[in-house]
Amino acid sequence: MLEGAKLIGAGCATIALAGAAVGIGNVFSSLITSVARNPSLAKQLFGYAILGFALTEAIALFALMMAFLILFVF
Amino acid sequence: MLICSPLEQFAIVPLIPIWIGNLYLSFTNSSFFMLLAISLALLFFHMVTVNGGHIVPNAWQSVVEMIYEFVLNLVNEQISGNSTKQRFFPIIFVIFTFLLFCNCIGMIPYSFTVTSHFIVTFALSLSIFIGITIVGFQTHGLHFFSFLLPQGVPLPLAPFLVLLELISYCFRALSLGIRLFANMMAGHSLVKILSGFAWTMLSMGGIMYIASLAPFLIVFALTGLELGVAVLQAYVFTILLCIYLNDAINLH
Repeated sequence: MLEGAKLIGAGCATIALAGAAVGIGNVFSSLITSVARNPSLAKQLFGYAILGFALTEAIALFALMMAFLILFVF
Repeated sequence: MLICSPLEQFAIVPLIPIWIGNLYLSFTNSSFFMLLAISLALLFFHMVTVNGGHIVPNAWQSVVEMIYEFVLNLVNEQISGNSTKQRFFPIIFVIFTFLLFCNCIGMIPYSFTVTSHFIVTFALSLSIFIGITIVGFQTHGLHFFSFLLPQGVPLPLAPFLVLLELISYCFRALSLGIRLFANMMAGHSLVKILSGFAWTMLSMGGIMYIASLAPFLIVFALTGLELGVAVLQAYVFTILLCIYLNDAINLH
């Protein structure tokens, strides 16, 4: 019973990935829009985009941590 | 057992058990790989700068110069004001190099990733956080508390905002550590899960023997991604450290 509830909880924790997917898509779509408007800034903007990507991806990993906490700690 | 748990690679094994009184201070594989990273970095930096290096750098020397200039540019761009920031360059450089070498050594198969343990990254980020707070109080005295209240806030809102800013300020120490640890752990266990999947397909034989090329290709691509993440996370850790330091030195 508890085992099954744990698995369901860990599965539910991964729903948070939807938000991270939207976030990462948003970062790169904004990058493409900005580079299309001003191609001379491409290099500088790519650095910012990679930073934004890393920060957004880290938020998704918090969900993974929650899943691991639910699975292994309790 | 043929298929091991994907988290098995993070196990800490004591290499030389040491007891001091009731304290268990063993020399583990974690401390071994930490020492390895530091000694590799020191050896590498020492070898290329023997007699001051060459005037026209060779390949190894230009790698070291690239790392140095990269961190120097980072510090110069992120921390505004010109009087004190060079004092902080050495520690930022050491942290970046340490994380870079730890992450990259972790990418070697069957080695151990030091930064995939929360206690290691959290100890690093918490000590940095305490140091930055001390720098803030040293530079501004008690005026540093004005950091907690953004300018032009209506007075009735002030108590809530101070509380919120205090929480977000303290959460920085935690999030800095979690970000690095979670990225390294998730990446390594992902590669392990997929390679276990490919191995199971390979050992089934028949048509699966050829079909297992697909997961192998994914593992190959993911390893490239993980190499990128290893460098990127060291960079993100350093740039956030510079941003926090800039906040402490210049307030808002």
